[in-house]
Amino acid sequence: MTAVESVPPAGERSADRWSRWSDHLNPILVREVQQAIKGRVFPLTILIALAISVVIAAVVSEEYSFGGTGRNAFRAGFATLIPLVLFVVPMQAYNSMRTELKGGIVEQLLLTRLSPSRVLSGKLQAAMVQFVLYVSILSPLLATSYLLRGVDVVTIGLSLLMALILCVTATALAVSSAAQGVVPALQPIANLGTAFGLGIGTFGMISAVVSGGFEAMLGALVRSGSFSAVVSAVLLLALLSTALSWLAARSFLLHAFENRSSAFRVLLFVLPVLAYGWLLAFVEPRHRDGAFPILTFGLLLVSIVFGVFMVTEQGRMSPRVDAHVPKAGWRALLLAPLLPGRDRGALCLLLFHVLLVAIAVAFWPLASVRRWHPAAVLPRVGAMTMAYVWVYLGLLRWLRARLPENVRGSQAARVLLPAMLFLFCVAPLLVDAIVRGGPDEWHLGHVMNPFWTIAEFAGQDKTELFPTVYAVIGLALLPQLPAFVRGLREVSAASRRNRSRAGPKPTSASDDA
Amino acid sequence: METALLEVRNLDRRYGNVHAVRDLSFTMQRGQITGFVGPNGAGKTTTMRIAATLDVPDGGDVTVNGVSVLVEPRLARRQIGYMADQFHPYPGLDVVQYLDFFARASGLRGSERRRTVRKVAAFCGLDSFADRPATGLSKGMGQRLHLAKTLLHDPQLLILDEPAAGLDPRARIEFRALLKELAAAGKGILISSHILPELGEMCDSVVVIEKGRRVVAGSIADIHRDNELEQAVVVRTLGDVEALERFLVVQPHVSEAVVDGARVRFAFTGDDRELADLLVRAVAAGLPIVEFARAEADLEDIFLKTTRGRLQ
Repeated sequence: MTAVESVPPAGERSADRWSRWSDHLNPILVREVQQAIKGRVFPLTILIALAISVVIAAVVSEEYSFGGTGRNAFRAGFATLIPLVLFVVPMQAYNSMRTELKGGIVEQLLLTRLSPSRVLSGKLQAAMVQFVLYVSILSPLLATSYLLRGVDVVTIGLSLLMALILCVTATALAVSSAAQGVVPALQPIANLGTAFGLGIGTFGMISAVVSGGFEAMLGALVRSGSFSAVVSAVLLLALLSTALSWLAARSFLLHAFENRSSAFRVLLFVLPVLAYGWLLAFVEPRHRDGAFPILTFGLLLVSIVFGVFMVTEQGRMSPRVDAHVPKAGWRALLLAPLLPGRDRGALCLLLFHVLLVAIAVAFWPLASVRRWHPAAVLPRVGAMTMAYVWVYLGLLRWLRARLPENVRGSQAARVLLPAMLFLFCVAPLLVDAIVRGGPDEWHLGHVMNPFWTIAEFAGQDKTELFPTVYAVIGLALLPQLPAFVRGLREVSAASRRNRSRAGPKPTSASDDA
Repeated sequence: METALLEVRNLDRRYGNVHAVRDLSFTMQRGQITGFVGPNGAGKTTTMRIAATLDVPDGGDVTVNGVSVLVEPRLARRQIGYMADQFHPYPGLDVVQYLDFFARASGLRGSERRRTVRKVAAFCGLDSFADRPATGLSKGMGQRLHLAKTLLHDPQLLILDEPAAGLDPRARIEFRALLKELAAAGKGILISSHILPELGEMCDSVVVIEKGRRVVAGSIADIHRDNELEQAVVVRTLGDVEALERFLVVQPHVSEAVVDGARVRFAFTGDDRELADLLVRAVAAGLPIVEFARAEADLEDIFLKTTRGRLQ
């Protein structure tokens, strides 16, 4: 072979370079880019976005007025960007995930070395590439809006940051919603919910941008002293929402025997760290007294959602989780509340509530919160809410134990909570309506209605309320104690099994000597 | 003792009231092609999906090279190539891009990835289709692409669910040749198919299941012997085939004589000595016999005689 023959053609060389470089990228991203280039939807969207930006530029140049033209150009440009990043990008990610799930393609994917997390991150990365492309198409228009005056750089920058945050969050939600299509019964709900939710969000944002409300809000925020607190809170909420969507989607894609629970449980314990960390880092000291009770109560409410999922799981650990319980007994017991299983889930929630109560008791600024401050009622509302959480979750766990030990049983149990709430709230009201002609006032028959009971009693400054509430919590927890023990014993037994399977520790060289 | 490549142990799987797989056990070794046979709804696909880590059993376990698919599904997946009965390629990708994607997903990098894609495409006869859209291939070529994708990570065990369904005769013969080559290279292949004569030709062993239970398992010849199944015998005569048939139907141990051109095929329940006596009597009766042989052990026979076509 001659030297000339051995040199590959230029096209092949560049393909080779791309191939080598793309080794570092997520395979899903590479494939989605290849598919987008060959597909029709993506080039069409790009062309439409370009055409709109040219039309806006033409209209703006016709009706020039100092300041006003820049503002209008910005609003038109940003209003064009919003549906692209808030609807088109998430919906494309949604459709791409749905295609993956159709006909078992995702199964073929999961048989490779790609973990569900990598599949999801590939989808998110592909969405980000689209975001960057759309922003670059409209960026000349946004830059022109600044040059025409009427909009400052901070507003443009903040708007783009907001668009990015919304795009990431919406895409994660859309992908998570599509992943739930693994369960066919949830598919129509996922389809409708995603399209409706994204549509409403997009419409609302466009209205806010076109009316000028969005700019006004940003302006007010920049001028106010709570700029960093609000921006960091929005960022944190977006991050949490993305993380939750991610974990939910991942749990749908994981092998049925993999551990789907621990990540959620760890996230539950990360929440107070983030929440109180944000309070200390970004909230001014004078506002902390009011913010602390609200934040603590908010964490209690969030824990209810986690709790419903934790106490309705299947009871026992899967063979895979069982085989991976730490061999060291003390480590296994320490990690037990984080391991799957509804008994351990209930224990995990109990530990979280103990942590929350400990933080509240240690730092609750009762003295500094004035009696008329809305936060002043939160200790009573919080204690009563916690009592109801344990009563209802105790009932739910009892009902779950009577359902089949499979995923369908868990799903059915999750529907039971709203059904129970409805029954316990509505049935006494109906009885009142029939017997007394209408619900006049609270009576003992409404004791299982948490909303009315809390509203009835929490507003009254009665200290004797607390012993009753504590007694109710104690009574609700008492029948669950054997379950906590059972959950721990299962972990302990698995740990012992794994220890004996691993055999005795190998003797060291010095021992041999 | 060498670990079995695939070991299915007391597998059990229910879907509501349907008991899809019941206490199913069998093993297969490296380099072996095992046919997995049963009527529709017998539990073949369920078993294969559990072995491929795509479903979970209610009881029992499956190990691949000693690795449990329940305890270490990710580790087991590295040794398994699963070809489902349906193939849905990604739209907008050509054959090479499709294989390249799965090679990346299987952890192959750089020149190794490109080399593997080329090698596998060539092995499956896809090199001349490299630029064709993966969605525009014929059924036969689609199955080749599906197999190529399954081979990319060099799995030790191939689980093929109805790979020959819908293929034309040529494509089936070519596909069979590919599987034989793979088995010769040391890979174990568990294959389900309803085309039993073809399966019988390439399989070293067979597992027959019905209503989720194992009916028989082993080599085709062993199953014949162990189950004392009637052996088919074929006789060809130069003379009157009707006369041969009339002669045979009155002979001891002979049943189900069927005329097929110049041949008569019949079931014989006697041993070799009795078969030799039958030949002597036929020649003595003046029948011009030119061919007298036991028929090859037949998978169809085994299937028909060991199963009752019960559905669940």
